[in-house]
Amino acid sequence: MQVRSPEVVRLPSQLTVDYTKCTGCRICELACSAKHEGRFQPSLARLKIIRYDDLGIDIPNVCGPCEEAPCVEVCPVYAMRRDPISKMVFLDHDKCILCKSCVGACVNGVILLDTTEMRIIKCDHCGGDPECVKVCPTGAIQYGPISSATTFERHGKVASYLREIEHSAETQQSDGAS
Amino acid sequence: MAAGGYTGRILRVQLGEGNFKVDKLPLEWIRDYIGGDGFAAKLLYEEVPAGCDPLGSHNKLIMSTGPITGTLWPMSGRTVFVSKAAQTGIWGESHVGGFIGPELKYAGYDMLVIEGQSDKPVYVLIEDSNLQILDAGKFWGMKTHEVTAAIKKEHTDPDIQIAAVGPAGERKVRFSSLIINNARAAGRTGMGAVLGAKNVKAIAIRGHGAVEVSDHEAFTTLAKAAHMRVRTNPQAQEMGKWGTWILTAVKQEIGELPTYNHRTGVFSGWEKLSGDYIRPRYTISDRACFGCSLGCKKMNYVREGPFAGTLGEGPEYEGLMAFGSGLGIADYPTTLKANQICNRYGMDTISAGATIGFAFEAFENGLITTKDTGGLQLEWGDSQAVIKLLEMIGKREGFGDILAEGSRAAAERLGRGTEQYAIHVKGLEVSGQDGRTHRSIALGHATGARGADHLRSLVVVDQLGYEKVAADRWGADKLPEIIDPYTEKYKATAVVESENAYCIRDTLIVCWYSVSWPPIFWMNDFADMLPLATGEKSFGDVKNLTRIAERQVTLKRLFNAREGITRADDNLPRRFTHDPMPEGPGKGQTVDLEPMLDDYYRLRGWDLETGLPTEKKIRSLSLEWTKKYAPSH
Ligand code: SF4
Ligand code: SF4
Ligand code: SF4
Ligand code: SF4
Repeated sequence: MQVRSPEVVRLPSQLTVDYTKCTGCRICELACSAKHEGRFQPSLARLKIIRYDDLGIDIPNVCGPCEEAPCVEVCPVYAMRRDPISKMVFLDHDKCILCKSCVGACVNGVILLDTTEMRIIKCDHCGGDPECVKVCPTGAIQYGPISSATTFERHGKVASYLREIEHSAETQQSDGAS
Repeated sequence: MAAGGYTGRILRVQLGEGNFKVDKLPLEWIRDYIGGDGFAAKLLYEEVPAGCDPLGSHNKLIMSTGPITGTLWPMSGRTVFVSKAAQTGIWGESHVGGFIGPELKYAGYDMLVIEGQSDKPVYVLIEDSNLQILDAGKFWGMKTHEVTAAIKKEHTDPDIQIAAVGPAGERKVRFSSLIINNARAAGRTGMGAVLGAKNVKAIAIRGHGAVEVSDHEAFTTLAKAAHMRVRTNPQAQEMGKWGTWILTAVKQEIGELPTYNHRTGVFSGWEKLSGDYIRPRYTISDRACFGCSLGCKKMNYVREGPFAGTLGEGPEYEGLMAFGSGLGIADYPTTLKANQICNRYGMDTISAGATIGFAFEAFENGLITTKDTGGLQLEWGDSQAVIKLLEMIGKREGFGDILAEGSRAAAERLGRGTEQYAIHVKGLEVSGQDGRTHRSIALGHATGARGADHLRSLVVVDQLGYEKVAADRWGADKLPEIIDPYTEKYKATAVVESENAYCIRDTLIVCWYSVSWPPIFWMNDFADMLPLATGEKSFGDVKNLTRIAERQVTLKRLFNAREGITRADDNLPRRFTHDPMPEGPGKGQTVDLEPMLDDYYRLRGWDLETGLPTEKKIRSLSLEWTKKYAPSH
């Protein structure tokens, strides 16, 4: 039996994130839900801002950039596919059997199951004209071609920042500070 | 849905019975009060009886939002807590940014009303329609950041928004606050004590629903354009960079940086409390409240010195003033540390700093000694004494127990003429302004419904050279006097008109920094936006909005009148009216309050002698219903 090897593709345009610029304002979540749901409902936004109020950092989680897309790999019925031209991952709602595998597989945790309407919700990059990028006041989310290096760098930065904070938290504790 | 933007529901938590109750939002409230502060004023007037003990079971804690809370409109993430104030016994309100207001809307409620009293420590969980009053025995005694983390962990949801009472609120420190998610404070008037007295440690809110406006497309387009106005406004960009710290230099320059307990308006050490100094040395990230494209919040970290390792947001300009210049301390880390203690214990920075300033000055003048303080020397500029006192207040230990009552009550307890150093109006300590070098704020401090308030009617246009804005708003014929900070003339006009606009701001609810400094949005912008949000056409008329604002100001006044407030209480500390500003650009200035008060009452339609709303005014604002709730004596 042949094992399907993960499809690695070159990505023309992707959402990219610079968490150091993000203020955690969640305007992007609002605008995303406004555009796709016709109402203001961040819980159904196709991206998610994780706010760490104790550390003072805010990290946008968006769809991609995934050169190997686990949601595509995991989908048993090929409902989650790549657009052959834009390479963007999209969801074919008619095929979806709501198995929820992609929800768990998404590395960024931005595929949602809307339990009210029983449907999978996923970023469609606004068809190449991302609303979240336009409304973001700080440039923390951008859209364009990227090299994979940026992605790794982003995660590296978060890790080193967290280390510094952890260190300072320890110092604080050993000081017995309030 | 009642009208666009609203959820149409009021959630009541009945602690005595251990129940929840969902009421319909009365439709006529929308037309007459819009939301936020307005709804809360109506409910408080009707339901909290005159003369009741703010810390007793008859008082209620109201959390209120507005029609655009949770939408894309810029800076609309704010919410208000209203109660009969623990600190002053009169109208109490405290606004807060962050994310908790929108969360309440997404959970499906416009307002939350906490009633009665629990006999054991509890916390309230509101998760859409999952409503629970849960045991908080294990959380009692925790600082606000600890209980916040513990509740998030308990419910394995980092997105729960939490309003927490700290040790100060538990011990009913009169100026204790509610702290939302570590660093956003509903600071003033003692909301922490009100909730603490009810035995409620925290309110935890999580919502997954939506806010739907009346005309989604048009509203969204306007909101996006409004965001662009914020993003391209040069002063807003500066505010985003420096936060409220930008004010230190401005205040110093105009001689209005309260220093040594408001004795003077210039501080030699101001530079170390300015944005230019602080940001490059201490700031590690910029943050924002919900839906804000300005982002004035700063996360800061102290790398060395006695407060090394302190990591926290803030303080605001007011905190820099309260713990910096106000106490003669030219050291940012001290103010950050003091601010953090206040956040963790749940205390208002302005009142905490001012009450310590009161003690410092009384000590300096020999009216209190180490016998009162338990051996502690109190001296201007002593950081360690400030930190020590803050913890003593938070724990109500020793001398801290007296200061925990606030400066007015502490002076009453101590006697010996100390009251001359209690710088308050109606029991609320004066914020970081000085009427001697900014006459309109003298009137604002004196007439503010909650006491010496800098957020309900502070005019900035008269002070920072916005000549054109002033001419547009108040008429070119009133220039130059109306923008001259050293004259009483026309100041009531500027105060009343600003107070009206801020009233509408507080019904929506949007941030101070979207209307005031810089002046981006004003009444006409709200009149353009509100009909799209709500579908209520009458909100499109500035005249009608002005009437709603007048109604709200007058209703709060009637609430205070019912508690015995009259013109005699609309006063200022002698310091501002009798001691000339000793130095700086405004050297020699004092406030002549009475003529401004006359003008203010005239414009408001209140009686000149009593300072109370006239019958005619009450009728014209459709406030006759208040009579039904008047005290029966
Ligand atoms: S939920 Fe739908 S799209 Fe996701 S993996 Fe299952 S079938 Fe595919
Ligand atoms: S690209 Fe569009 S769909 Fe995707 S998160 Fe941004 S706004 Fe939402
Ligand atoms: S709009 Fe931009 S700055 Fe605001 S939360 Fe989203 S990514 Fe962060
Ligand atoms: S300006 Fe500051 S306080 Fe106001 S909403 Fe924005 S971040 Fe919050």
